[in-house]
Amino acid sequence: MIDLLWTNLDYAASVILFCIGLYCVVTKNNLIKKFIGLNIMETAVFAFIVALGVVEGGDAPIMGVGASAPFTNPIPQALILTGIVVAVSTTSIALSLIIRIYQHCGTIEADELREME
Amino acid sequence: MKRALTVLLLVVVAIPLLYAVAQLPPHGSPTSPAYTHVSAYYLEHGPEEAGAENVVTDVILNYRGFDTNGEVTVIFTSLAAVFAVLLGSRKGDERLSEEPTAHQSPVSDVVSFIVRLLAPFIAMFAIYVILNGHISPGGGFQGGAIIAALVIVTTIIVGRKQAEAMVPIRIRRVLHVAAPLAFVSVGIAGLIMFGNYLEFPKTESLMWLATIWLIIVEIGIGVGGAAIVATIYWTMGDE
Repeated sequence: MIDLLWTNLDYAASVILFCIGLYCVVTKNNLIKKFIGLNIMETAVFAFIVALGVVEGGDAPIMGVGASAPFTNPIPQALILTGIVVAVSTTSIALSLIIRIYQHCGTIEADELREME
Repeated sequence: MKRALTVLLLVVVAIPLLYAVAQLPPHGSPTSPAYTHVSAYYLEHGPEEAGAENVVTDVILNYRGFDTNGEVTVIFTSLAAVFAVLLGSRKGDERLSEEPTAHQSPVSDVVSFIVRLLAPFIAMFAIYVILNGHISPGGGFQGGAIIAALVIVTTIIVGRKQAEAMVPIRIRRVLHVAAPLAFVSVGIAGLIMFGNYLEFPKTESLMWLATIWLIIVEIGIGVGGAAIVATIYWTMGDE
């Protein structure tokens, strides 16, 4: 198991990054910190999927003069480009909601907000 | 107690994931299933079929054009949502008037000088990245992000008022919809010329047209994306 993990070190690293993000989401009390944790989890998933497309010794998938096989897999890169843009969109909406919460309640600490109900 | 539960949760999440990850095909192997089916086809036929040497651009704008069309709508919708959340119920909010307005921290001379020095080059690089998206790494989203970063750093240096005066709201209102607009116009051009929405020219003789369409969409995405990110940044700065 350990040597299998060692060959897939990139994937294992993104799993660990994912867990760091999850830790932030679970333990942090500040809404913005929670959301940063969520963003770290997103980044871990992006890193994982892009790592799936890596090919040993592969070039960037750009044809033209002087390009030679093997090329890295273009599909994960294209998918993650989409994913990053959606992540930016959700981040902007979440931050604006947090701003509204602060204006409304005067705090963005989760436990204080829970008491306020 | 709470700490122990957190550790337990993390272990419960991490162990199955690590186990699953260890079973995947070895990292970087050219025989992994993800590499041998669709991407092999794209890598082989992408440049002739889709009109761009950069296969990633082929995939996002041509093969998966519908997907990206929806995606530019997503960023536009996020702008609309930010407006709805932040500007919707502004009146009747006493807290807003109580708070001190725009306490601008002074910017160091070094930072200010460097940004002013680099700004034209950043802008040029952004334009290069957008216009060369079909033959080199880059494209609309990346170039748009660079322009947006330039706008944000300029806002920090010269202050919001001056930065916003460079792109008046009248123009910006149009720029926000540039990305969906470029996509829809290219889609409708495909509808008229080839009978299907977002159908790109496929024959050898019309490849130049496909490339021009790709560039139009790239410019739309770049300009529109940058305008949307800048406006979101400024709107949040208001609060």
